[in-house]
Amino acid sequence: MIGMKHILLFLILLVSFQGMDAQVQRFPKPEFQTAYKVPTTVEPAPTSLLMEYVDVLVLVVVMSLTAWFIFKKRSRKGILWLSVFSLAYFGFYREGCICSVGSVQNVSLALFGEGYTLPLTVLLFFALPLLFSLAVGRVFCAAACPLGVVQDLVIVKPIKVAPWVQKSLGLFPYVYLALAVLYAATGTDFMICRYDPFVGIFRLGAGFNMIVLGICLLVIGMFVARPYCRFICPYGALLRVGSHLSKNHLSITPSNCINCKLCKNACPFDAIDFPVEEKENKATRTDFRKFMLYLVLIPILMAAGGWMMSASHRLLASVHQDVALSEIISKHPEVLLQKGNVDVDTFLASGMSLETLNKKAEVVREKFRVGGWYAGAFIGLVLGLMLLNEVVFRKREIHTANRSNCISCGRCMDFCPVEPTGGKKGKKK
Amino acid sequence: MEDKIRKVKQVAWISGVFTALVALLLLLNYLQLSGSEPLESKALTTLVERLVSEPDNQQLTGEVRQLDLLARKAYFNSIWQVRTGALLMLLGAIAFIVSMRWLLKMQFSIERPDEAKAPDKTTRTKTERWLWGAGGLLLLFGAVAALLSESKLSPIYAKSPLAKGLNEGVEQIEIQGTDSLAAGDSTALADSLRAEPEIPLNETTVKQQYNGFRGPFGQGVSTHTNIPVSFNGPSKKMVLWKTKIPVLGKNSPVVWGNRIYLTGATASKRMVYCIDRLTGAILWEGKVDKIAGSPASSPETTDDTGLAAPTATVDGKRVFALFANGDIIAFSHGGQRVWARNLGLPDNHYGHSSSLLTWNGKVFVQYDSQGHCKVMALNAETGKTMWNTPRSNEASWSSPIIATVKGKMQLILQATPNVAGYDLNSGKQLWTVNCMSGEVGPSPAFGGGLVYAGNEYAKLVGINPTSGAIVWESTDRLPEVSSPVYYKGLLFVATTYSVLACYDATNGKLLWEYEAKAPFYSSPVIADGKLYIFDTNGKAYVFNPGKTVHLIGTSVLGEKVYATPAFSEGCLYVRSSGNLFAIGKPL
Repeated sequence: MIGMKHILLFLILLVSFQGMDAQVQRFPKPEFQTAYKVPTTVEPAPTSLLMEYVDVLVLVVVMSLTAWFIFKKRSRKGILWLSVFSLAYFGFYREGCICSVGSVQNVSLALFGEGYTLPLTVLLFFALPLLFSLAVGRVFCAAACPLGVVQDLVIVKPIKVAPWVQKSLGLFPYVYLALAVLYAATGTDFMICRYDPFVGIFRLGAGFNMIVLGICLLVIGMFVARPYCRFICPYGALLRVGSHLSKNHLSITPSNCINCKLCKNACPFDAIDFPVEEKENKATRTDFRKFMLYLVLIPILMAAGGWMMSASHRLLASVHQDVALSEIISKHPEVLLQKGNVDVDTFLASGMSLETLNKKAEVVREKFRVGGWYAGAFIGLVLGLMLLNEVVFRKREIHTANRSNCISCGRCMDFCPVEPTGGKKGKKK
Repeated sequence: MEDKIRKVKQVAWISGVFTALVALLLLLNYLQLSGSEPLESKALTTLVERLVSEPDNQQLTGEVRQLDLLARKAYFNSIWQVRTGALLMLLGAIAFIVSMRWLLKMQFSIERPDEAKAPDKTTRTKTERWLWGAGGLLLLFGAVAALLSESKLSPIYAKSPLAKGLNEGVEQIEIQGTDSLAAGDSTALADSLRAEPEIPLNETTVKQQYNGFRGPFGQGVSTHTNIPVSFNGPSKKMVLWKTKIPVLGKNSPVVWGNRIYLTGATASKRMVYCIDRLTGAILWEGKVDKIAGSPASSPETTDDTGLAAPTATVDGKRVFALFANGDIIAFSHGGQRVWARNLGLPDNHYGHSSSLLTWNGKVFVQYDSQGHCKVMALNAETGKTMWNTPRSNEASWSSPIIATVKGKMQLILQATPNVAGYDLNSGKQLWTVNCMSGEVGPSPAFGGGLVYAGNEYAKLVGINPTSGAIVWESTDRLPEVSSPVYYKGLLFVATTYSVLACYDATNGKLLWEYEAKAPFYSSPVIADGKLYIFDTNGKAYVFNPGKTVHLIGTSVLGEKVYATPAFSEGCLYVRSSGNLFAIGKPL
């Protein structure tokens, strides 16, 4: 019970993060006519490119070391300290940017947008974790991602999430991914960065809502391990696919599983697949019919999703600054008369005509109309495949880490009493 | 072990309480700061108000400074407190988490293994149902979004005629009897944005507008009052707004109601801009293209004339614009293209610069091209030529004016070698006086029953249009680009050698002159009973027009000025080298 009291205290302190950066530039410069000359504004020099390459190097080293700890050393402790380093370096020192999770948007903008050149380092931050996931599973999630690590460190008393809840909520990262790509590709917004719940904590300052969101996720994360990674992270959705297809993956046991069931409660992420008794899960004719039905339903779901997203294009596009401005001026032309509206003032100062603004807004809407088809179809496809997966039965005789859901944290390894073959490495429990 | 657990528990408690306290203090700090504006403290406001009424009170100034400094210190102190507090809280949170994890680790024991099963069929079926539920929710959300997108936003979307224009593509309208007319894309957004009451068209209402180069009938006199006599562009004093004009042009703004019109041109595009008089927003921009007979390439012009020197003219329904390549176009006030045609490429070595003038359903065009001089009246509704009178003179850069002579309006033009009057309805030349020479840039002036015409290297003359006799002539101070203006028996002439001269309009006697620091290209205009003029450096001079020099205000715009200002509703609108400024008292 003492733990619960402390958790409540922790909750209170986290809520108070809100005050950190509330006073943002509220003090204009003095208006006195004195001899004092206000210094001219100097733009800071761009950050060194070298540092970005150092970031890439650190990322590669961290992921490689994680793989080494998993496959060679089988050391949870090593992964834990590596993740603490990543939190300190990528989180607090580099302040959460550059970030593989957000790089999805840069890549989308570079592929579908106009006039944006993708920096090589950003491309590497996007591609390297994916390549590692194809080779060795989600080692990025295990120890390199500061967003994941900050949640990992606050896990106190994880509860089991029912499989149906977990799978249903597991749909959300794909929806988020589709929306994030759509918004980035149309040049509207980098919503993953805008709604990054932990960057405010890394930087010791953010908007009130984001601080509250980050705190809420951390508090939930005490009981539902890594909620952002499992039910929100759009990059994690991609890594799941990579890890599912990976050549090598963390195994709970270093040699042959003896089904001792000691690892039953080892995974706070419910990512251990238990042995399947064939007689209980044997496919019936009904299951086969369902399989065929879902197979047929996939294109229908894709079409429905595509149509709905595309039909919602005006609503979706209204977030874009040009569209928003165009709509507000169309609906309330009196805003043009009001001083102090930064968007309107900027527009007026730009020399752009309302006609041009409306044309630009129309171009954006058209992008959303077309992009909506792809995004919606993607969501439909994911839903269809998830349903299909539920009627496909696989025989399993031992305890294994679920390749999609396992984040390779290595907790389960400590629970396995089996010695590695050869008995050189690994401790006898 | 028990002792160790107890100590870790203590650390967890202490760190937890510490972080909670710091968090509480930060929260209080936030609540306190979010509700207060340091610069708006009562004491400071009171002192500042007093300072406004006692600007020379040094002691008061010192007190305000002291208080201001204290407020700033308090502010930055609070920033330091927040930063330090956040760091302390973070350290406390780390200590708390570490001790908690340590505690849990020490209290950890492996549970007895029991049955752990893979999801059975019942679980799988349940998962399927939940997935259907999640998918259904998504579909429902999508359907609502689609409906909202259609129904909630459609009225806004449909309200904009732009959407219609885009959907239907470019409309081509053939106007019978006008062989080179074309009409095209239309965007009438402005109509949907700001409905303007239609202004009836008569002499009184036109005089209340500023519908052409140098105002109503081109006479350089505006009826508008309450115009500021001093302002400052760089410090924005009296500057209501400033709008960047995307494409440059040397023409001047004209005003009808709440709309200001300007044109701009480059070698590849020609544009007409409609600007909201109140806000400076560009309501629409009309592209001048797809005109039958329009030359493939633009003519060579000098930089100080350019491809869009003629000022547009506007009536109650349309705006008319002419460009150096001979393209002439009419747009509705909403931006719909009404008609367009090409008048033939003018042979004009500086670039065509005669401005248009409209009255009584006609658009008057002085088209003095080398070897092919003519004056035309086009039908304002259709663009068809109503009359076309050839002229036997040289190319000119002057603009027409309309004057009432013996109770009847006539069009007055000047060029080398003559000044002439034309009948508005038939185009018949009513009178002509040979008195001009050189390359004529200034336009004539009218007042006191006389027509005034002048040009550098020629002379300034006062002509009786009834008899065609030259009443007086002078060679003292002569205009080269800027046009003279008549007001209450006085004639004002601005020169390119920086002199503003005042003549007695009845006899041509030079009354006074004022030397500025830069040449005058802009023409003087009388507004609010005062004379306004800009030099090319953007310095504005306001004179009380009288028999003696009486400068009542000078102002700096901060940008080069070649165009002539327009006046409307207590405001002055002037085009600089890149922007349009609205100068007036804040609403």
